[in-house]
Amino acid sequence: MRSTWRNHGAAIYAACALAFLHAPLAILILFSFNASRFTVWEGFSLRWYRVALEDPQLAEGLLNSLVIAGVSGVLSTVIGTLAAYAMWRRGARVLSGMLYLSLVTPEIVTGVSLLALFEGAFRFLQLRLGLHTVIIAHVAFSIAYVTIVISARLRSYDRTLEEAAMDLGASEWGAFARVTLPNLAPGIAAAGLLALVVSFDDYVITSLVAGVDSQTLPMVIYAMARRGVSPVVNAVSAFIVVAFGVVILLSERLQRR
Amino acid sequence: MNLRSAFLLPARVWSAVFLATPLAIVCAYSLLTRGDYGGVERPWTPENYTRLLDPLYLGILWRSLWMAGLATAVCAVAGFPLALFIARAGRRRNLLLQLVLLPFWTSFLVRTYAWLFILRDTGLVNTALLRLGVIRSPLPLLYNEGAVLLGLVYNFLPFFVLPLYATLERLDPALPEAAADLGATPLRTLRRVILPLAAPGIAAGCVLVFIPCLGAYLTPDLLGGGKTVMLGNLIQNQFTTARDWPFGSAASLVLMLVSAAPLWFLLRREAR
Amino acid sequence: MNRRHFFLAAGTAAGCARDARPRLNVYNWSAYIDPAMVARFEREHGVRIRYGTYESNEEMLAKVITGNSGWDVVFPTHSRLGPMARHELLTPLDHGRLPSLGNLSARFQKPGWDPELRWGVPYLWNATGIAYNRRQIPEPRGWDALWSPALRGRLTMLDDPEDVIGICLLKQGLAFDSTNRAELARAKAEAIRQKTLLRAYMNAEVRDQLVAGDVLAAQLWSTTAAQAIHSAPQLGFAYPAEGFPLYCDNAAILRESRRTELAHAFLEFLLEPVAAAANARVAESATTNQAARALLPDDPVLYPDDGIYARGLWPPALPAEAQRYRDRLWTEIKSA
Repeated sequence: MRSTWRNHGAAIYAACALAFLHAPLAILILFSFNASRFTVWEGFSLRWYRVALEDPQLAEGLLNSLVIAGVSGVLSTVIGTLAAYAMWRRGARVLSGMLYLSLVTPEIVTGVSLLALFEGAFRFLQLRLGLHTVIIAHVAFSIAYVTIVISARLRSYDRTLEEAAMDLGASEWGAFARVTLPNLAPGIAAAGLLALVVSFDDYVITSLVAGVDSQTLPMVIYAMARRGVSPVVNAVSAFIVVAFGVVILLSERLQRR
Repeated sequence: MNLRSAFLLPARVWSAVFLATPLAIVCAYSLLTRGDYGGVERPWTPENYTRLLDPLYLGILWRSLWMAGLATAVCAVAGFPLALFIARAGRRRNLLLQLVLLPFWTSFLVRTYAWLFILRDTGLVNTALLRLGVIRSPLPLLYNEGAVLLGLVYNFLPFFVLPLYATLERLDPALPEAAADLGATPLRTLRRVILPLAAPGIAAGCVLVFIPCLGAYLTPDLLGGGKTVMLGNLIQNQFTTARDWPFGSAASLVLMLVSAAPLWFLLRREAR
Repeated sequence: MNRRHFFLAAGTAAGCARDARPRLNVYNWSAYIDPAMVARFEREHGVRIRYGTYESNEEMLAKVITGNSGWDVVFPTHSRLGPMARHELLTPLDHGRLPSLGNLSARFQKPGWDPELRWGVPYLWNATGIAYNRRQIPEPRGWDALWSPALRGRLTMLDDPEDVIGICLLKQGLAFDSTNRAELARAKAEAIRQKTLLRAYMNAEVRDQLVAGDVLAAQLWSTTAAQAIHSAPQLGFAYPAEGFPLYCDNAAILRESRRTELAHAFLEFLLEPVAAAANARVAESATTNQAARALLPDDPVLYPDDGIYARGLWPPALPAEAQRYRDRLWTEIKSA
């Protein structure tokens, strides 16, 4: 009896916490339908969605952002997972120090220093800033996030499982791929999601290392917001939230089956 | 080459070229002199560091540490039950985890502006309270340290929940049950069984929250009304308006050194 | 899917439409041009414009300072033009290729910061003044109106050291661009005195709060104020009696550009009255182009009459030492 009461309490708390996280979303979706350009309600309208759909910069920015988040998310998840696993087996102090240090670096400093590096190197290589530099930068700052999430999970992982597999004749690689990796899967998913979100949302570093042809969605949104937040931004955000919400629900359905 | 070094290679190469080299550049900048409009020039000088010893800047450092610590504490208290609930939610785990992250697919700026709309004088909260007759005139909810704290917690709560979830998810549900069967009170089970096992996740979460909070600058600007300076604002300002990159680099390195303390603690734990 | 596939996908998705037309890379402030005009230039000249935007002079400078940014045309504010030229970042303009320079208003034909228009073509300009709610407060005459206790909690200042310290100096009858430390100390004291009345230091974001009525008075740019007034007629904009700063952004060609001929053609296009008027309308800012003015509605907020304009001043670039001292004062004001 007490236990169910406690479960209800936990569920209510979780619902409140999620409501807290989603409150701003509700607001911005609501105001994407506002006829006024300001955050004063003047009536229902779809005009901002029309404006958003017709804006080529937004479409280009969204495409660039998705490509960057996808590529850098996968790269950093792979690199970070492998590194976290190797460090778990035996520490790699310099590397982990370096990764953690990257977390500590203020964004603007990461951005400025990467810009200095790229421009210094590119002068000799005849290269220019662009999508590739943004991806490189995003991987650089995402690896640490991935590593830290996976390491936290590995620390409560039972080493004997892997040892048992090797005792039973599995190779080093086999033990990793067949035993440890499946065990890490939820951690990898969480880490990968974090890397995706961090990349998709980044503005400061991106704006510094982006070049011709690599305007991302946050850059377009910042540009719009410079003149006060326009409901077009709300419309885009609402669209993204709904799109990702649908993807999440669909994948949930598929997993159920 | 054995498996371990093969696994480490990509991370090593990437971090040597794209993390260590830029860091070296920042170190060099911090010892140089400000150029006429944003450039960095010789002579070499330690002056950027001595400037930081000024009580003005030490006060800013202290305020930033305080705010970041407070935000981390709130995230820990608020995030722990949420992570625990998600970890025990069975098949709905993934869905809930995704829901925690869903707001973060929208731009940081847009999320923050949404809070402005909720908190301002003619915003949702004040309008509702006025209509209900609870208050006579709007409460000043915006542009104070409370609003900054709220913004920090809001933006970094998932950074606490995620690593903690990754740890708790592995926790064998039989353990707390066994403790309960043996007569332990729920509080005791939490303290003696769950917390020690969740410690790595909590530590990782705290680091992931504390560090970005320490360097945050947009939240204090937008929700604090720019009336207080945190270390992040100071650094941002040096690289933008003030165009003093050497001083900004020195301040950044100090910030990194300060945030390295909790990191060092984490690494020590890891080494054990 | 392996890594190579990802790079391939990324490459095709992003680098799409690699056409053979010559490209001109234009780096401008965000929301500062009519996209239809960009398209028209592309059509008329058979070229492709790659258009990027920035949010501050510093962001632009950080990229172009190494001389390898890839951009051809940028739009620095007037006070940055001289230093950029001295740093050999800009190409001197060839007036032979800019026959429409005569379209500029008289006051932008020989501007103080670049009298021969050697480095930049004035593009759009605006001023800092006071936006206020006409229904609730009287028209502010001078900057000291922003120290009125009646505004407590409903007043904002720009989040910009140059503008805030500058008007604290003007208020006391001192020069906006003073480098005298005693004068600056007095300005700092004024700013700290005002801070107790202040709701926030903020820039364009204040627009919404002016419209909603949360804020009664704000130190603001004429451009942002004009936008707010268009949708909330109860708002007004005042040009204070003690004087006020003016800012002008200029189209300039980078020295690194290898397409200076095309870049000149683009600058010439910006001077054309129809294009200039369209750009000013989209940016909701004041044009420097006399011929375009005739095509635009009259707006006393964006275009104050000559008597008011005469009180305006164009802030020059400050010497490094003064800049640094002011930055310290700004940190002190903000931490107070």
